Amino acid sequence: MTALALRRDGPGTVGVVPGPRRRVLGLVVALVALAVLLVLSVMIGSTAIAPSVVWDALVHSSAGIDQFAIRDYRLPRTIVGLAVGVALGLSGALILALTRNPLADPGILGVHAGASFAVTVAVGLLGVSDVHGYLWFAFAGALIVTLMVLAIGSTRQGSSPVVMVLAGVCVGAVLGGAREALQQTNPAAFDAMRSWNAGSTAGRSLDVVWPVLPFFAVALVLAVAVSGSLNAMALGDEMAVAQGVALARTRVLAIVAITLLAGGATAIAGPIAFVGLMVPHVARWIVGPHQRWIFAYSAVLGPVLLLTSDILGRLVIRPGEIPVGVVTAFVGAPVLIVLARRKKASGL
Amino acid sequence: MTPLRRRGAALAAALLSTALVLTACGGAGTEDPAGASAETRTVQAGNGAVKVPVAPQRVATLGNTTLPFIDLGGKPVGVTAESDSDVALLSPDEQSRYKSATILAPSADQVDMEKLAGLKPDLILVQIPEPEFESIKAQLTVIAPTVFFGLDTEWKALADGVAQAGNITGALSEQKAAFEQRRAAVQAKYRGIIDRTSFVDVIRYSSSDPGTFAIADIGCSEIARDEVGMKFPKAAEGADPLAWTALPFEQIGELSKYDVITYPVDAAGRPTEPFKPVVETNTWKALPEVSSGHALGVFCPGNNSYGSVIRYLESLDRALATLPATG
Repeated sequence: MTALALRRDGPGTVGVVPGPRRRVLGLVVALVALAVLLVLSVMIGSTAIAPSVVWDALVHSSAGIDQFAIRDYRLPRTIVGLAVGVALGLSGALILALTRNPLADPGILGVHAGASFAVTVAVGLLGVSDVHGYLWFAFAGALIVTLMVLAIGSTRQGSSPVVMVLAGVCVGAVLGGAREALQQTNPAAFDAMRSWNAGSTAGRSLDVVWPVLPFFAVALVLAVAVSGSLNAMALGDEMAVAQGVALARTRVLAIVAITLLAGGATAIAGPIAFVGLMVPHVARWIVGPHQRWIFAYSAVLGPVLLLTSDILGRLVIRPGEIPVGVVTAFVGAPVLIVLARRKKASGL
Repeated sequence: MTPLRRRGAALAAALLSTALVLTACGGAGTEDPAGASAETRTVQAGNGAVKVPVAPQRVATLGNTTLPFIDLGGKPVGVTAESDSDVALLSPDEQSRYKSATILAPSADQVDMEKLAGLKPDLILVQIPEPEFESIKAQLTVIAPTVFFGLDTEWKALADGVAQAGNITGALSEQKAAFEQRRAAVQAKYRGIIDRTSFVDVIRYSSSDPGTFAIADIGCSEIARDEVGMKFPKAAEGADPLAWTALPFEQIGELSKYDVITYPVDAAGRPTEPFKPVVETNTWKALPEVSSGHALGVFCPGNNSYGSVIRYLESLDRALATLPATG
């Protein structure tokens, strides 16, 4: 029988924390689900292609039209979905742990606003016209704005999560207005950005993933490194300090990891909402407040949600498609509401 | 604000409005700014019977009327902006006439009425969506007689209407004759191919989502279908045009069910910039039509005036001539 332990879910809320075996079992189930979705993502598309042809495309270098469709579109799209999903899920978990705000997601630190503003400038003023050109602008915009938010959110007493979130919301609002103004003066820029703004994995080749992967790897290492400190900080800053946690260093490293993950994901696929908000809540409901487990589950459940949404988007209005960012909102919002009503809001 | 001040403000506003209306009316013809004849004639348009000068001298063109007006030899005094790519397709003389006009707005729904009134036009030609026209109709008609064409106006009727209202029918007759001659020549030369071949026209717009293309059933392939009789796919009656449906690149393979594919190229015969990503895909290269010479690049400089349609037919003629004999 698996060991169970009492946990505090928040003020006045007591829940049951699954033991290590159940956590591992749950993670294995989530990994299996992810593996199935990876296969389905390659199998399913707007064109019906037989499983034998899919297999042939993956294991042989045959040059048929359908084989190209698998190798050139579905496989890269699946890998993009995997990478973006992991990054968004993990960055959401980090930001939830850092801010202890149940409504926080990567966008709240100005990541989306910074990336979108930079892409608008690139398209509207510099004439950049495709997603490969956006990539570095989006990444740089996300990095710069998040560093700005970090600087603004630093008070004399150190970095305050509340001030940081407020700074993120304010900077996001200012940049959102500036972006809107730029787009109004240049409607062509708005057209060119429409798909990226909706959040989509369609049409992204692996060329846009490879350059970002090293940043994801660095962020992953940072996330693992700060997970213990974030655990201690969940009990309150004073308790964390008493346990020897360097608060400022932990927050800076966590912000750097969040920015690399969310900035990279946004650069690749555009601002995809809800994955970073929903996934860590679900992970926390499953595994309790232990950050390493939340991070591990979020890194698996992020691509599960993203790939599921992407597959649905390909099927609903065939032969056309709905961008994955639209589907994550449609799927994620009601599911989160249902789960929140059943589980109550996450105590943080 | 005191009652006295309020009344003063109201009086000032009324005087200002009256002055603006009088200024606009003056531009409409009472002062005859360009020395045009005070005589009028009536033309039928989408907004009913409109009295226009017999020989308008200062014509402003909004929306889709600019390029047809210039194509007929007109020299507008004010225009809504055309895209750089469309302007680049005009002849040097046409470009000169376009560039000599005052740009009134980046698009028709943002027309600067003050700037338009300042040009003192004696005729305004408009083709924009009807709801947009309704929202600015009163302002336009105060400035000058306004001839409106709905978006459903067929291109030949638009050319007729623009020529008649602008009193430039001489060029129109010549263009009509040249079009008929070219159309008949293509039909006669390729009768066999036209009768037994299924075509599909593919396209990408500069605003297309990454990794998507569309099947064009509007634009130049509409000319090939309706005027030349070539078999191109068309959306069902009442449905949105096929050209509005963005298809993922993996559907490029579906094009292999047609005999011949046409795709957009520039005047030099190179794939247009937005379409380049399609021809660079492995799926496109693997299509039997591509490897067998049955994928034809066709130049489409526009489909709403005779001059541009004639250039399209010339390009179509050259493209069809390259089809393999067994095609």
